[in-house]
Amino acid sequence: MSANLEHSHSHPMRPRELISDALAHIDHILPAQGPILNFVHHNTIHGFQHLPFEEALAEVDKLTGIVGYLPEHAMRQFYEKGRISDTDIFAALAEKKTLDCEGVFCSLPSQTIYRKTVYRLALLFDFSAITSSQFTWQIQTLHALNSLQSDVPQAVRERLFLGADNEKSVIYALWQVILAKLKLSTTLMHSEDLLNLTSTQIDEWFAQSQFEENNNVRDAWSKQANDLLTQHFSSLGESFTLRGLVNQLTGVDCLQFVQPQLIRLCASALDEGIASWSLPERHQLGLYGAWRAMLSYDVHDALVELPTAQQIIDELPENAIDTIILHLSAHHIPQEKWAVYLQRLALELPGWAGMINWREHHGEYSPENDVKPKLADFLAIRLTLDRLWLDKICQETWHVEARLDKLQAYFEKNRAEFVIRYQLYNGHLPEYISHQAQELMQFSRYKKTLTSRFQQLADVIWTWQHSPLVEKHASTDAVYTIAWRVFRLCQHLGLNAANVNLLSETQLRDMLHLLDEFTQTERQKIWLVAYERHYREQIFQGLTANYLRGRWYQRKSRPCAQLVFCMDDREEGIRRHLEEYVPAIETLGAAGFFGVPMNYKGLDDESLTPLCPIVVVPAHDVHENATSTDSLALSKHHSGRRLLLKFNYLLHHGLRRNLGLSYLVINVLAPLTLFNLLSKSLQPKPQHGLLGRLREKISPTPRTQLHFIAPNNSDAATPEHTRLGFTDNEQADRVTAFLRNTGLTYGFSEIVVLMGHGSISQNNPHIAAYDCGACSGRHGGPNARLFAAMANRTEVRNLLAQRGILIPSDTWFMGAEHNTCNENIEWYDLDALPLERVNAFKVLEAQLKHAQEMSAHERCRRLASAPKNTTPQKALYHIQERATDFSQARPELGHATNACAVIGRRALSQGAFFDRRAFLISYDPTQDLDGKILEGILLAVGPVGAGINLEYYFSTVNNERFGCGTKIPHNITGLFAVMEGSNSDLRTGLPRQMIEIHEAMRLQIIVEAKTSVLEKIYARQPSLIELISGGWVHLSAKDPDSDAIFVFERGVGFVRWENGNSIHSLTMYETSPEYYRNHSEPLSPVLIAQPN
Amino acid sequence: MENFIVLIPLFPLLAAICIGSLHLFSVIEGEKSERFTARVANYAVGLSCLIALLLLWQDCWFGNNAVLTLGSWLSVDDLVIKLSFFTHGFSLKLAVIFALLLCVVMRFSVNYLHREAGFHRFFFVLSLFAFAMFMLVLSANALGTFMGWEIAGLCSYLLIGYLYNSQNATHNATRVFITNRIGDAGFVAGLVLCYLWLGNINWLDIPVFIHHLSAQKLNLIALCFVIAAMVKSAQFPFTPWLARAMEGPTPSSAIFYGAIMIHSGVYLVFLIRPLLELTPLIAGFVAVIGLLTAFYAYFVGLAQTDIKTSLIFATSGQLGLLFLECGLGFWELATWHLCAHIIVRAYQLLTAPSLLHNIQSTSIQNAPALFATNRRFYTYATQRFWLEPITDWLIVKPVMNLASDLNYVDKQIIDPLMGSPAPTIHVISSLAQAQERNIGAQLDSTEDTFAQGSGLAGKLTQWTASILHWFEYHFILHGASDNVFHYGRRLGHIANQTELTLLKPRYLVTFIFITLLVAM
Repeated sequence: MSANLEHSHSHPMRPRELISDALAHIDHILPAQGPILNFVHHNTIHGFQHLPFEEALAEVDKLTGIVGYLPEHAMRQFYEKGRISDTDIFAALAEKKTLDCEGVFCSLPSQTIYRKTVYRLALLFDFSAITSSQFTWQIQTLHALNSLQSDVPQAVRERLFLGADNEKSVIYALWQVILAKLKLSTTLMHSEDLLNLTSTQIDEWFAQSQFEENNNVRDAWSKQANDLLTQHFSSLGESFTLRGLVNQLTGVDCLQFVQPQLIRLCASALDEGIASWSLPERHQLGLYGAWRAMLSYDVHDALVELPTAQQIIDELPENAIDTIILHLSAHHIPQEKWAVYLQRLALELPGWAGMINWREHHGEYSPENDVKPKLADFLAIRLTLDRLWLDKICQETWHVEARLDKLQAYFEKNRAEFVIRYQLYNGHLPEYISHQAQELMQFSRYKKTLTSRFQQLADVIWTWQHSPLVEKHASTDAVYTIAWRVFRLCQHLGLNAANVNLLSETQLRDMLHLLDEFTQTERQKIWLVAYERHYREQIFQGLTANYLRGRWYQRKSRPCAQLVFCMDDREEGIRRHLEEYVPAIETLGAAGFFGVPMNYKGLDDESLTPLCPIVVVPAHDVHENATSTDSLALSKHHSGRRLLLKFNYLLHHGLRRNLGLSYLVINVLAPLTLFNLLSKSLQPKPQHGLLGRLREKISPTPRTQLHFIAPNNSDAATPEHTRLGFTDNEQADRVTAFLRNTGLTYGFSEIVVLMGHGSISQNNPHIAAYDCGACSGRHGGPNARLFAAMANRTEVRNLLAQRGILIPSDTWFMGAEHNTCNENIEWYDLDALPLERVNAFKVLEAQLKHAQEMSAHERCRRLASAPKNTTPQKALYHIQERATDFSQARPELGHATNACAVIGRRALSQGAFFDRRAFLISYDPTQDLDGKILEGILLAVGPVGAGINLEYYFSTVNNERFGCGTKIPHNITGLFAVMEGSNSDLRTGLPRQMIEIHEAMRLQIIVEAKTSVLEKIYARQPSLIELISGGWVHLSAKDPDSDAIFVFERGVGFVRWENGNSIHSLTMYETSPEYYRNHSEPLSPVLIAQPN
Repeated sequence: MENFIVLIPLFPLLAAICIGSLHLFSVIEGEKSERFTARVANYAVGLSCLIALLLLWQDCWFGNNAVLTLGSWLSVDDLVIKLSFFTHGFSLKLAVIFALLLCVVMRFSVNYLHREAGFHRFFFVLSLFAFAMFMLVLSANALGTFMGWEIAGLCSYLLIGYLYNSQNATHNATRVFITNRIGDAGFVAGLVLCYLWLGNINWLDIPVFIHHLSAQKLNLIALCFVIAAMVKSAQFPFTPWLARAMEGPTPSSAIFYGAIMIHSGVYLVFLIRPLLELTPLIAGFVAVIGLLTAFYAYFVGLAQTDIKTSLIFATSGQLGLLFLECGLGFWELATWHLCAHIIVRAYQLLTAPSLLHNIQSTSIQNAPALFATNRRFYTYATQRFWLEPITDWLIVKPVMNLASDLNYVDKQIIDPLMGSPAPTIHVISSLAQAQERNIGAQLDSTEDTFAQGSGLAGKLTQWTASILHWFEYHFILHGASDNVFHYGRRLGHIANQTELTLLKPRYLVTFIFITLLVAM
């Protein structure tokens, strides 16, 4: 170490700073998901959001090997289902100017082939090279040389066989012509033929191999082996850690031994309450310190016979960063590689590293028994454990320590061994060689001198590599690469032997060149654009056709009720059904915290919880208290609740924690449990209801009210020094702002409902991901309640009147919460409802009942196990049962259908069927000429909508890596995350059950505003520029005064959208169910009849 | 009516055969066949459950015979094994509880595993498992019990490795499977001894015959079965395998390790109750092991940080108490405790994913202050007293090295002697070789091309000539003094090495084993 520190002054940065810098940099590549109870949707690759979408995906791919686009086969399925059309493909191709897709590729007398034709084929069919074994299989089993490729469409088939009497000969002739043109011939060979080479083969390969210059095989081999060695060792850090290097050369992965130790330790440090015994002194010593203190008692290293353990443990420094430096120096990793090395190391267990990193950066998050873990701790421990094991493996295999320089020196002496090991453990070798290689590896334990046998085998490998059998790069000349691809392409182009005969060899090769240039990533980009375009065209057509059909452009009459829902896409259904049922009702949408950020403490809560978007830090506290008249009920509630909590403790902690106590509890409770289990399994809904009633009986809920009023002379509230309650002015400010935002500044109805939302389901660790995103993954009911209570106060209404918003005295605001899982609606402060309003409320409640049933009915169509075409009542029953069923891994589908956001008056979208796919945000452009309100909305809604949409996007395109895979083996760890089984990395992102029906496309934000207004806002706001110009969302503007729509093209600006659909009217249905009946797939917008 | 008992294991077996074979031939596949598979499995277990309930009702009101015998299963020499079932008492009650829980878990899995790639595989294994467990509890002869025991173990292996793409899962599955083989060896040994000394392996007949046996023989038989029970019910020192079994889907974790299979060890102890009552030494051993397990699981369980592992150590603790009760002879208490524990743990594991929602604002009580801050004890607990590394060091590693050595001996010495094909190094299989040949430097050739013969006699002559040539070349042409000395030294070295190798513990142990085997 000292040696290293000495020569470090030649380096511009001192080692400690170097490490700190590197650690800070790792922040942006690790998953940023916090503890699972605070699940907030965010862009999965948020750390790359400063880059444009495509570049960010390329970066992620380079770093982690995860591709951020849907696989091509999924897109091809969409194409088959008509979800992407040729028009979309050609439009997407045309957008990409560099492709020159209108260019003529070649002209034949019979037809002209355009470049776009070739591109289209490359998108729809697979033209990749195959291996020699696949080629053999194609010829021998599928008779590919005598029959048309099975994926050639009927139309092309007919054209190809036009006038031919023998189809076999047409295809065979084509193959022959192609071979002749390309000067290749068919050879079929089996890899074991190489065991005994014929002299012709030897001569041939000698002739065509690269080592002609000096004509010495050994020299050529040496050179190649050297290159491989240098190249491999130099990619350490960027591509793999020392663990990877050793794994690739021995087949032994030290992480397999290190991971259980590391995970146990990290979990016990971060645990928030599953274990009753936690890492001693974790708070004082930190993760690394506590671990280091434990080491002296641990005999694990001795038991597994780690040779250098004692020495390494003895010299462990106190500081984690010093430890990192120590190990990196001990491994002789060059200093300039330290940063990438640590990055690669962190990415090997991204879930754990990410969680620790999150905790490090969120000091304010403090669960009980607090530890302050640091990424440096994690990496220091990981490096120590790695080094112990790597030393063992290297000692046993090569009798050297795990030092980069020593390993490299060893392999420079034993190049043959290197080549064999490299080839063997990277799975490249054919069976006949890998058998021998494995045997040699085993024997190397017993015999030290195997040099000649290593060399012999390395020669064999090298020969195999030069044979035509090995899979080569697609552009290399081989019959199964070049000729095969041309052969397939010609068939799809409908070219027969005569046509091909007219082409030159260069033209044929150019064909492949064109395919090669159109790489998989390029194709995936085109697919995505085409896919999104298809959906965009549909909604634009829907919006255009619906122009001037929607109600409440202006409130010319008084609506019979107004309901403000969350902007959530899941609320679109219930709103539509309510409006269809009662046209006189107006619904609005807004971010579900209703403009009142607060720290909320419910009646039974022990601490405050912020209820507002994650980016806002509230300055005001609000408490829920029992009404003063209800003190008796309150004490009964509390005593009952204590009892329930005790019981809860017994069941969920006591039965694990306490051996003797649980012995008693088990023996006593078993009959009840059996009854409970059977009823829960057979009749979940009644069982759930029974438990609920029992709970209510034991601990009755008292009447409560919110404590939210602060004296007008209070000190200013700040996020650092929060204050209980809002002053009158503060209340009026928030109410005014919210009403202005939504455009609800006039035409108030008798009852105005603020409808927050949340979701309750069983056996669902990801439950917070179904709650309100605008309330940081919590229930939004309290915000609705607070807003209503504020807006009903005379003082506030007077202040509002001064600001120009006149609320009639017979208008009453009500707060409620909609459960998106079981469709329940819970009302707040009903006892405060004035007697005169009771009738109106009763009517509204009945109308909502219908809407709940219909919403459930519509949801059933997309749930595989739900009854189809059933009555609304039965549908609601099913939905409610689902929410109480503990075996249901899909209690609801969350935001799985989200695809667009409409910011504008409800009249824009009301009257059309949007299939629960739209975030609906109310905004009235006629009240906001300068765009100030819109600016605020975009800043709030843009990131929230994009966060939800992008999390779903990434979890869908690669659920294993960006998402957390299937829920089935999930295991809650430390109350903060899930693992697979008991020993895996933490799984971040969304589970597969949440995204199955999601369509991975970027959010289409459609704003009802003048483009001039939007352009100004865009120019002012860097965060919007990042999102929009970076291509993370799509923006378009719907002109408020006409049916014109303008699409924002990146790098160009707003461009008028042309309606490609000549029929301007969409199909019209009487009601939504009439349209969606018998459909379980996503549906395109249609019009729903409006009452006259 | 009592004859229906045979249907209880039969229905799930038929379901398993049906699902397994149809899935094998791709008749049922993917999402569209889920309903079919689910129905077959659920109806089968449902029917079994119904029959079990009926029989229990009849047993309670009218009383059944203890055992139903349905003819002979196999008869070899004087060994006749009857196909017989318990239709009365504890076994039947346990079968009812198993059946009820299996019904719940089957139903649970229909929704829970919807759209999983392994849906049909899962239901196949679960049905087979149901069959195995019914065999295990209902069979009145030890061979039937053993069959159930083995099949259940296999099913457990298949479901721990349900996600067979995950290295963790497959590794743990194999480890659990192999650990369980130790217990199976105990069971087999017990069976064989029973047959040798008693000539009978019917559970109800054993008490009748054992009175003739000497105390040592009784102890040995009891010990064999107790070891089997210890491994299956994860008693100390075999406890760690249970924690490895948490890789499978939640419902299988619940049914195998929370509820049913894990208790079959205790059930076996119940079956050998007459034996244990005659062997206080072994009974005491059972009690001590139980107590040890309870303390071990309690102590280690306190430090577990994921819900499944935490629950599984709690399960181990109660299993330990069950062993303790049996060992001390509190059989009635143990009966109730066993049934109660099965139910409560099944419930807890099935609802484990609800934990975040269920605990509400309660937080777990800290570990006893007596040792909560003691780092040494905490290290013991998190490392689980190093039980696994210790067994690895004592058993796994020597065995693996032995295997590796034998393989080497096989490949290097036996194969060439037996004339198995050695790698064909004399044909050209690399370009380098070809080039060398062209140049004429036949470095690797040991064959003298001077003498060439054909036919057996010709070849023999040729080989003799070669050997003589080699001898001549190395010892005479190269000067005798140097080489003779050199080869002599190498021979001596090899002899030394052999001796050292043979003194290694693994070989010593092997030799002792061989000697014992021969002596017996």
